[in-house]
Amino acid sequence: MNRKLTLTLAGLLFGAAVIGGTLVTQLGASRDDAALSNRGMPGMAIHGLRMKSARITTGNVLAVRQGRALYRLNRVGAESCFGVGPANELGTPGSVVCPRGGFPRAGEPVLDFSVYEGTRHDLREFSLVRVEGIAADGVAAVEFFRPNGQIALSVPVVDNIYSTSSVPAGPIAGLAAVDKAGKRLWRSP
Amino acid sequence: MNRIVFFVIASACAAAVVALAQPAPASAGWCWPSCSNYGYLGQSTSTNNGCWYSSGEVCSYYGYWFNVGIAKTCYPGCDWNYNTQGVVLYGFENQERIRGHFTVKAATVYVRPSELYMSGAVRAQVTWYGGPASQLNAAAIG
Repeated sequence: MNRKLTLTLAGLLFGAAVIGGTLVTQLGASRDDAALSNRGMPGMAIHGLRMKSARITTGNVLAVRQGRALYRLNRVGAESCFGVGPANELGTPGSVVCPRGGFPRAGEPVLDFSVYEGTRHDLREFSLVRVEGIAADGVAAVEFFRPNGQIALSVPVVDNIYSTSSVPAGPIAGLAAVDKAGKRLWRSP
Repeated sequence: MNRIVFFVIASACAAAVVALAQPAPASAGWCWPSCSNYGYLGQSTSTNNGCWYSSGEVCSYYGYWFNVGIAKTCYPGCDWNYNTQGVVLYGFENQERIRGHFTVKAATVYVRPSELYMSGAVRAQVTWYGGPASQLNAAAIG
């Protein structure tokens, strides 16, 4: 490769990096100020996670609700994972998510651990079995909606946690986070 | 010569990233599509072994599973928050029902049958729910 071509390519790469950096900053992706004020209870040992790719030995219980414990799980040199599990077996989360890029994020204020169930082979129609999850500061409630968009259930967020085992029958097609004014902040899918 | 060295190093790094991202099965278990590769789970994917849905689902044989995990990549693309457009349900099923958590995230996730109020012999499952195919590796350990 001759010197002129090398210099041209290096210049193009530098220009692309500058433009990319500017775009990211303008779009706010690099200024992620989402927060989770709930720091949880003192650290505790975490057992029973046979996960080679996410070695977790300690964590904090963020809350115990409805007989369930919700955790922040610590990884060495990596972003936290989060989990839920039975409150009568503290330290043994049974469901774990290790989000890339960490949690929460400005565009990702909810980590949902709700359980869904289907009973028909001919339809991909799922109803709620249990609702629980973790929400960023500023989220006042999490809403679950029907396939037609109607709200089926609204669960308040208290100290960054939402939870209920009292769920309506019928299909659910998504969920949304709303602030205290009822403004929709995020939805999935 | 330099280009060859660069290619070899880049290939080794890519292989390392893939290996580290996958949920590693501990002992006796089930993996899809294998224990060292990613597969594409879309509307017509099937393991043809009697899963709850005849297509758009991969599932294990019946067993007393400890947990099932998936490692989902950004395929075919992620937003700023590492979300894809491919929605999957991961969990377990038996003769009566299929249960699980939904995810669109390019992330590593795990769930035990007891979390879904299921016990006894069950199948580990990952089901396409919507959007484009998801690239993922699934594994269940017993």
